[in-house]
Amino acid sequence: MLIFLYAIFPYTALTIMIVGSILRFIYQPLRWTSKSSELLEKKWLRYGSLLFHWGILFVFGGHVMGLLIPIEVYQFFHISTETYHFMANLFGGITGLMAFSGVVILLLRRTFDPLVRRHSTISDYVALIALFVIMGLGLFETVFYNNIIGSYEYRLTINPWIREILVFHPNVTLMAHVPILLQIHIFCAFLLFAATPFTRLVHIYSAPVRFPWRAPMQYRARNRYR
Amino acid sequence: MSDSRQHFWEVFSHFTRGERINANWTELSPRSRDWEQLYRNRWQHDKVVRSTHGVNCTGSCSWKIHVKNGVIAYETQATDYPSLGADVPEYEPRGCPRGASFSWYEYSPLRIKYPYVRKELLMLWRQELAAGHDPITAYHHITQNPDRVKQYREKRGKGGFIRATWDEVTTLLAASSIHTIQHYGPDRIIGFSPIPAMSQVSYTAGARFLSLLGGTLLSFYDWYADLPPASPQIWGDQTDVPESADWYNASYMIIWGTNLPMTRTPDAHFMVEARYNGTKVTAVSPDYAEYVKFADTWLPAKAGTDAALAMAMTHVILKEFYFDEQTPYFEQYVKQYTDLPFLIILSPGEHGYTATRFLRASDLDHAIEHGEWKTLIYDAMTDHYAVPNGCLGYRYEASQKWNLIERDENDQPFSATLSLKDHHDSLLAVSFPYFAEQSYVRTRHVPAKKVINHAGEAVWVTTVFDLLAAHVGVSHYHPTDEILSYEDNAPFTPAWQEAITGVDRALCIRVAREFATHANMTKGKALIALGAGTNHWYHSDTVYRAIINLVLLCGCQGVNGGGWAHYVGQEKVRPVEGFGTIAFAKDWISTARQQNGTSFFYFVTEQFRYEELSTKTVGSPLGGRFTDRHPADMNLLAARLGWLPSFPQFVENSLDTVKKAKESGAQTAFEIAQSIAKRLVDGDLTFAMQHPNQESTYPRLLFVWRSNLLGSSSKGHEYFLQHLLGTSGHPLAKPDSLWTPQDIVMNPEIPKGKLDLLVTMDFRMTGTALYSDIVLPAATWYEKHDISSTDMHPFIHPFQPAISPPYETKSDWQAFVAIAKRFSELAEIYLPATEDVVMAPLAHDSIDEIAQPLGEVKDWLTGEVEPIPGKTMPKFILVQRDYPHLYEQMITVGPLAKAAIAGKGIKISGEKAYDELIQRVGVHETTDAADLRSGKPRIQEERQVAEAILTLSGATNGRRANEQWKALAAITGLPIEHVEIGKEEVAYTFEDLTVQPRLSLATPIWSGLESETRRYSPFTSNVELKIPWHTLTGRQHFYVDHEVMRDFGEALPTFRPPLGLEPFMPHDEKIMNQGQTVVVRYLTPHQKWGIHSTYTDNLRMLSLFRGGQTIWMANEDAKSIGIADNDWVEVYNRNGAIAARAVVTHRIPQGIAMMYHAQDRTVGVPGSAITKDRAGTHNSVTRIIPKPTHMIGGYAQLGYGFNYYGPTGHQRDVMTVIRPLKEVNWLED
Repeated sequence: MLIFLYAIFPYTALTIMIVGSILRFIYQPLRWTSKSSELLEKKWLRYGSLLFHWGILFVFGGHVMGLLIPIEVYQFFHISTETYHFMANLFGGITGLMAFSGVVILLLRRTFDPLVRRHSTISDYVALIALFVIMGLGLFETVFYNNIIGSYEYRLTINPWIREILVFHPNVTLMAHVPILLQIHIFCAFLLFAATPFTRLVHIYSAPVRFPWRAPMQYRARNRYR
Repeated sequence: MSDSRQHFWEVFSHFTRGERINANWTELSPRSRDWEQLYRNRWQHDKVVRSTHGVNCTGSCSWKIHVKNGVIAYETQATDYPSLGADVPEYEPRGCPRGASFSWYEYSPLRIKYPYVRKELLMLWRQELAAGHDPITAYHHITQNPDRVKQYREKRGKGGFIRATWDEVTTLLAASSIHTIQHYGPDRIIGFSPIPAMSQVSYTAGARFLSLLGGTLLSFYDWYADLPPASPQIWGDQTDVPESADWYNASYMIIWGTNLPMTRTPDAHFMVEARYNGTKVTAVSPDYAEYVKFADTWLPAKAGTDAALAMAMTHVILKEFYFDEQTPYFEQYVKQYTDLPFLIILSPGEHGYTATRFLRASDLDHAIEHGEWKTLIYDAMTDHYAVPNGCLGYRYEASQKWNLIERDENDQPFSATLSLKDHHDSLLAVSFPYFAEQSYVRTRHVPAKKVINHAGEAVWVTTVFDLLAAHVGVSHYHPTDEILSYEDNAPFTPAWQEAITGVDRALCIRVAREFATHANMTKGKALIALGAGTNHWYHSDTVYRAIINLVLLCGCQGVNGGGWAHYVGQEKVRPVEGFGTIAFAKDWISTARQQNGTSFFYFVTEQFRYEELSTKTVGSPLGGRFTDRHPADMNLLAARLGWLPSFPQFVENSLDTVKKAKESGAQTAFEIAQSIAKRLVDGDLTFAMQHPNQESTYPRLLFVWRSNLLGSSSKGHEYFLQHLLGTSGHPLAKPDSLWTPQDIVMNPEIPKGKLDLLVTMDFRMTGTALYSDIVLPAATWYEKHDISSTDMHPFIHPFQPAISPPYETKSDWQAFVAIAKRFSELAEIYLPATEDVVMAPLAHDSIDEIAQPLGEVKDWLTGEVEPIPGKTMPKFILVQRDYPHLYEQMITVGPLAKAAIAGKGIKISGEKAYDELIQRVGVHETTDAADLRSGKPRIQEERQVAEAILTLSGATNGRRANEQWKALAAITGLPIEHVEIGKEEVAYTFEDLTVQPRLSLATPIWSGLESETRRYSPFTSNVELKIPWHTLTGRQHFYVDHEVMRDFGEALPTFRPPLGLEPFMPHDEKIMNQGQTVVVRYLTPHQKWGIHSTYTDNLRMLSLFRGGQTIWMANEDAKSIGIADNDWVEVYNRNGAIAARAVVTHRIPQGIAMMYHAQDRTVGVPGSAITKDRAGTHNSVTRIIPKPTHMIGGYAQLGYGFNYYGPTGHQRDVMTVIRPLKEVNWLED
């Protein structure tokens, strides 16, 4: 079971995500979009979208810090476990709350604004509901579980497991005693990864990365560039 | 699109670095350009088809329709118009954003795809048929049961259509037609379709069907108030205007109430190009309209006061160019081409001397043929009174003196004396009516001569010129007459107009001077463009006549680059003779029933019972016999005397009228007419118009096609809904409370609902379609063959199907042919061939126009004159109706076309044309010699109809043009048979038109000359070839001497204040809790985002402005009721209520509001707080107010012609209240 949950399933999900996104980018490039609904509804979008996007950026940063950076690095810098968890809970809580409230607003908006609802597809709901669930679990973990029961030291379990996943050497036993809430959180997250190629979430890959380096003046060839 | 990629990874090429140059500043983007293919594909096409838009903008632009995979993808402007030569800008490309958006309609949700019938009606119909009744009985059972009729009548406009089949609908329509003919008479079947020029075959479809049937066609030009009654009054011509390229020939141009860039979008460039050519442009407009920004000078005259400005300019021009100095060009022009030198009789009366009628040859000598129709001038050189060539009397005799050659009755040359100032026997004090808030009589002296008439009595006469000069206060012969300077505030001075119009007197003087100076230097190349802003008024004719003074006094009319240019609703069916022959079925039946629309609607919508304007208040202060008649009584008089048509004609069925006449022993057509006249005198037979509340006179069946009657032009919309349709309409006025007619018989209870069936044929769900009982799906302009022409340019354009009619749509022609076919099938059983009598008015351009001499009104009913059909009363014309063969007649060109083709008094033989047409379209394939189609040209398809129109008309066929010039040469004695010599070979076929736009030919049917090298300007034929105008004197009239004109003080051009009809009258119910209100003059100009209601519901046009109904208000007015831009307001008066959003603007002066015409109300219409029902259209606050002078007939240029004369359905004299609509209730529960 552990092998399925923490080796087969994650790889399957990531494969679907990567291969699916590439195929979509190749074969349906004109549908590679975040499908803005700003024309239809502005007021709630402004709150929801800003809260969610800024929140999720910091939450993502927090996950990088907690899951990809080995605990040894923190120890090297003499950051105590208490300090680490205090900071993680504080900033993770604030930004998580931002992102979560954003997602709630977006979800309500999508459900109850007649124009937006009329223009929504199932994939929009899948993305939003998945985010709602994942972030709800994550936030609960950060805000309540960690403060009431005590911070769970994921840097010794999930963190190495993730890193070993990335180097194709998964050690599923690391995940055996992870709290069930976090397990569900992780499972849902991989489900969402698998779903990304089929949703508007593909827009996270689109960033003007070449912009700082390209020449100031761009021109186009009359014929298709060879 | 991935097809064009060589490798899939190219999609990531934007990560790579492109080739750099320019010291690395520039980079060849590595990104793929494949995405652009999407747009290329969007504009790909398989074929291109030339067509146009049959929309009432008179643009008639050639468009290329692009089709991809059998789907109409888009349209672009055609650019292959023939060149006009090096000296004039070209016509191409023509078009505007409205036309460019048309293809959206093709597959839009607004498209009517199937025949629809109101559910309640269709259920009843199906029940009746299922019960085994034949269609006629079934229809009888439904319509003769008031409860059943009410069932579906009350649902009109409230949804509930269900889909039917063509077969079912044609049967229902055929049965209803037959039933109506049997029970009430064919004239109870009414047709309304406007502006044939925009799609002539489609107009022909319904018109031909109804004309064969004996149904009544309604006019539209006067109904739309686009007809300028001044045009027939001055020129005896409906309307004739220069093509837009002729503006380029002008050296001075005044744009006076017509928004050229907005409503003549494809033509406006000529005005701008003329400015580059040095033409000065002056704009007259109350608001900062779009055309004002193109002008060098802006005269912001208050709405409706234009005549005051024009009269003051007349004052300046007369003073400076006729009195202070003489201008040889002007004098020579007015002597030769206007009635200014003609003599008017001055009669003594209670107000001293007043100007009455023209002096006639018959006054001096009884022996002269048609002497009552020959007017005189005075020749001071020889001291004698001459009867110049060209007077109307000459037109109807064989003397060949109906021309403008300056010869008198003895063929001697003469020189007309303009003013009698140096030849007078006495100075007489003449009284002139002056109109202001309180009208009064002004007296000025004119030089007069004494003439001894044939009875030996002395008669005082003066010239029209002397009268005009005294009237406008320029001449000064007597010490007691005030000498007026420009600064005096006395009638018609520049200072006087400033008080009325608000235009600076110095500006008025300057523009008048500039206009006349330019005209003098260029020999008449000064032009005035006018339109809705000056024409949509009760007193439209006085406004126009005052303005046209300027072009006549300055010798501009009939000169290229000069004259009037009337641009509102004017149209030009260039191939008009052929069109008239086919459309009105003149090839089978001599006379069609043609009714003037305004009178028809005034009665059938019961608006005459709400009349608020006492015509006494607008009568001449000199008094008169006809100023205290209710307009309805006046209209009845007009019908009785043969001035105006009146259909439905009698209280009884016209088929019975013939039967009764025959039973009483009358045999010949003449005897039948006599017997009808006798019955009318005896009171045994009465006019339907006299009994509008009697059920037998109701219109029963109304066909509307190519039109949005209820969404666009129903002046008095709420009265239409309540009284004609019998559904929820909300007039707020109290009926019978102000002024009721004397002669009209009325029921105490006003009828609510008259029509049995309202049938609409359209391609989009309009306001009219929503109120209809039957809606038929029509083919669009990209799906049928047709032809279109306009006066804005000289080309004839074809319509062609880019795709065949989709869904279950049919072209108008095919739809009416299908109805006709079913009709004949049923008529075979139920309705045998029969005889009918048509009551026709005294017709313009026919001998009828010399029926009622001297402009005196003589009523046979009161015994003032003998009742003589065709002379003192209408004509009663016997016609044959072959109902069982109506279908064959419909699709065959009949034998009467072979006998003659006629238009505007010019008649040619149709022999050659008929043969040529057979060559083109072939004959019906039938071996049965008894079949009436045998050997006759076949017009089964739209395209064949178009060929018939083209072949029979001079504008499109050189042989016809030449035959017509020859015919006119014979009447006039002028050497004009060679005008189009060399053009015999020009014979446009439909195919020719599809290749490239084709120039129409010059024909005498129209008043101007045109060719490849000269632009059309009206009346150039009259001026250059000396062809008389179709008026009493044969010249252009300043003076209109009919008794009724004099009663209303309009014999001479003058200024009359616009009516300011109060929003509510004393007896009307008060509106409670009005809150903050402002009262404004309500104007309905033409809009930018649609052509009437067409395109206003088009997504592409809607995205250019706010959707739904809006009303433009001045910021001051909006502020006074606490309204901000885009707030909801309620606009209301005694006629009804509208809900709209306010567009608050500083463009519009305080005190007026503009609700752009015909925004229709198919979406976004909330409830009115007053009516508690869904609010109305822009016409909900208007009402028909007929003007009595527009009803005159049987007299020279004032004879009736369909769309030529008749009261107009103007709508700018109303005032409305505006208040905030506090709660917007969408009535959705």
